[in-house]
Amino acid sequence: MQKNLYKPDLMEVLDVQRQTPDVKSVRVRFLDDGRARDFSFRVGQFGQFSVFGSGEATFNICSSSNWKDYLEFCFRRTGRVTEALWQVEKGDTIGFRGPYGNGYPVEAWEGRNLIFVGGGIAMPPIRCAVWYALENRAKYGDITIVYGARTVADLTFSGELEEWSRHERVRVVQCVDPGGETPDWKGEIGLIPTVLERAQVPAENAVALVIGPPIMIKYTLPVLDRMGVREEDIYTSLENRMKCGVGKCGRCNAGPIYVCKDGPVFTMRQLRSIPNDF
Amino acid sequence: MTEPGAMTQRLRETCRRLLEEGKVQVVIGWGGAGRLASPTQAESPAPLSFPTQAEPHAPLSGTPAPRPVFITRAEDAEKLEWNDRCFANLTVYLTRKEVKALGKAAVVVKGCDERSLVVLEKESQIERGSLHAIGMVCEGVGTPREAKCAGCEVRVPRFADETIGEAEGAAASATAVASRLDGLMAKSPAERWAFWTAEFARCVKCYACRQVCPLCYCERCIADKNRPVAIETSASARGNFAWHITRAFHLAARCIGCGECSRACPAGIPLGLLNQSLAQATEEDFGYRPGMDPKAEPVFGNWSPADKEDFIR
Amino acid sequence: MSAIIPVAELGELVAGWIGAGKLVAAPVAVGDRLLYQQLASADQAVFDARRRPANSIKEFLFPRHEPLFRYRIEGRGIELSEVAPEEREQIVIGAKPCDAAALPILDLVFNWDFEDGFYTARRARTTVISLACAAEDEACFCTSVGLGPEDEAGSDAMLFDLGDGRFAVRAVTEKGKALFGERQAEPPAPRPGPEPKFDAARVGRYLASHFESPLWKELTLACLGCGACAYTCPTCHCFDMVDEGNAAGGVRVKNWDSCQFPLFTLHASGHNPRSVQPQRQRQRLFHKFVTYPQKFNAVLCTGCGNCERNCPAGLGVLAVLKAIDGEAMNQDAKEPVQA
Repeated sequence: MQKNLYKPDLMEVLDVQRQTPDVKSVRVRFLDDGRARDFSFRVGQFGQFSVFGSGEATFNICSSSNWKDYLEFCFRRTGRVTEALWQVEKGDTIGFRGPYGNGYPVEAWEGRNLIFVGGGIAMPPIRCAVWYALENRAKYGDITIVYGARTVADLTFSGELEEWSRHERVRVVQCVDPGGETPDWKGEIGLIPTVLERAQVPAENAVALVIGPPIMIKYTLPVLDRMGVREEDIYTSLENRMKCGVGKCGRCNAGPIYVCKDGPVFTMRQLRSIPNDF
Repeated sequence: MTEPGAMTQRLRETCRRLLEEGKVQVVIGWGGAGRLASPTQAESPAPLSFPTQAEPHAPLSGTPAPRPVFITRAEDAEKLEWNDRCFANLTVYLTRKEVKALGKAAVVVKGCDERSLVVLEKESQIERGSLHAIGMVCEGVGTPREAKCAGCEVRVPRFADETIGEAEGAAASATAVASRLDGLMAKSPAERWAFWTAEFARCVKCYACRQVCPLCYCERCIADKNRPVAIETSASARGNFAWHITRAFHLAARCIGCGECSRACPAGIPLGLLNQSLAQATEEDFGYRPGMDPKAEPVFGNWSPADKEDFIR
Repeated sequence: MSAIIPVAELGELVAGWIGAGKLVAAPVAVGDRLLYQQLASADQAVFDARRRPANSIKEFLFPRHEPLFRYRIEGRGIELSEVAPEEREQIVIGAKPCDAAALPILDLVFNWDFEDGFYTARRARTTVISLACAAEDEACFCTSVGLGPEDEAGSDAMLFDLGDGRFAVRAVTEKGKALFGERQAEPPAPRPGPEPKFDAARVGRYLASHFESPLWKELTLACLGCGACAYTCPTCHCFDMVDEGNAAGGVRVKNWDSCQFPLFTLHASGHNPRSVQPQRQRQRLFHKFVTYPQKFNAVLCTGCGNCERNCPAGLGVLAVLKAIDGEAMNQDAKEPVQA
């Protein structure tokens, strides 16, 4: 029988971590060993994760594609499905369909310096790329990560950020919005575009991955431009309401682009030709 | 009775005057010529009027049915039409944010449409004082006449800021109302269940009934809520029954019987019958007819110590 | 075996198919309109070449409500099971050419990289016998999108009403031949169909460069945001997926959805890229006349006119496109397009 395109794989929840007051990360593995063996994905791709009875939601696969024993995703408690996900614990069963989307062009990035800029819950789709690059260290140049959130409590994967900064030729700049710092905060204070500019990151031979709310991206782009990073070298991952994830249900398109098939990863150059429809 | 042609002229003059004097920013009426037509083609599409077997190869034709138009410039007043195909109840547009954004509105109403204004004001959805209602004296719409026109008591709009058409001679018809409903209610519950099961089997959940109804103005309809799901969105037997019964109950003692829901349904389901049966119950049990008397207190949202309690056991 | 079939014989053929356990759908009279429906008996079928059903045949391949799989919740475990597929052969007879032509257009998206087995399985089991048009009304515009009253796209066989209670039949594909054998009538003199009502290429060009335009607000004020156009459209295929059940389990279903609904693009965060109706109407036009052609080289519209006829406000794509074509013509007159 024709494989059911819409039937998820069953996943066992291995671990759930509370990242912030309203963000959790979840580690899952395929219940079917054969599927686990055959499965692979590209960093930057996403999946449709199910809580049976509540529905599906779209999340980036935020683990490195080199990690074979499990997948990870991260979510904010916002709506019907994420509210149900919030109740999920180790040992529960959820569903996964994927991997979908185009992923990051990690081959094209080889030999380049990597600049990652992210805000708040945008760290997970950056995280997978950072780990991937660190695991293929020789292929990539200098790595700079500028990551910020409104407050210290809203920073995700803080422990890993620390770990990354100890790798060679990796520089991590963390920041919080003015007023979001704690007394013992050692990182930067300021909005991400400002902090990025202050950081004076060398932009020669660089590609940038910028993910965050539209307003953050809007103000970060001029900074990158001043730094000398070209639009075709600035990447982002779009979010849009999705259902099928496979280009059929007609929901996620922005102008003539299907975010689930043509994206979700786009360069700024490509984004300029996508109308304001997402 | 004034000829429709003359009423159209007066309507256009009224519209021009209102816009030129800045009394309103938009006139919501019926029309069809102009922007929504190519330079060389006829206006709106013909309604479903087809030749009989006797003339198998006669070309399809019919008077174009006017559609809702929004006149914001005096020179566009020419687009307005008044004839017996002005079906739409335009008051539905008064609660739509895209229309509200245009500014102070004038709306053209038939007597039946006007009843919506009464209820909308009672429910604080419009400010009657900041709306200009243009009433049209109406002899009924549709060929043959729509079922709702039989026994119409509101041929002459009663509360409009100005009325177009001759009021004399527009007597209410003595024909009994809602014979189709009577026929339905004469059947047994099992027969009625079978009737509605067959009708709802055609429902595709397009929500045209809801969107066309002036009194379905909830910003987020209960059918669109998913925490929790109160009404399944599926066009299944269960989902369809749940939707239509809920909507009928949410309109109980509010529906003014314009019949737009039945007209809008692409599957031809006579949805208005559900609302009519509850309207009958409202009149029998509470002596209340929505939209008729602006001073009457609505059935819901009001109580008095004299309310009967004999149903509490 | 004559290629001319009297209507009574057509009825017998249909009765035979139903008797043989096939699913047969045809236009059926419901009140004052025709609707494509599955037949309980052959005498329900109405073969009227001058009328267009108010719905489309897409629902026999892409149902309005389709179970995708069942799930059972047992403690912390989940068991998934497939829904038993429909095995019976399906025949749609009396389809308008503008309905049949939608199927090759829908094939493109349902087979795009990932195959939607629900659609393709039904498609493979379905034979479409269309009935060429003997008349059109003012809402028809098949000729403006490259089709016509006798276009064979999507049809396995085509019937022509000879006007005297008899039909000429032409088999178009192997499936059609399987039903009608070697009957192959000469097609009657071709009918021209409706006058073109707009220039599709000019409209596509204009749309692609006028995403932001005050026209959208102006032209779409009458739109009430229901799904009557999308659901009666032969080519609209947007859908939703929801879980329906209880604590013990349920079924995940695929339901029709419409880009005209306010919540269609609402994010859980509250952000809605298309929060007002002009944006949603624009999306409809774009999906049909820009996005789909760019992706699949096909316009997502067959000019059937259902949207115009079924819209409570009379605002189908035709109304908007005629206005846009008018604008495009004005613009071309001012700035002639280099060919």
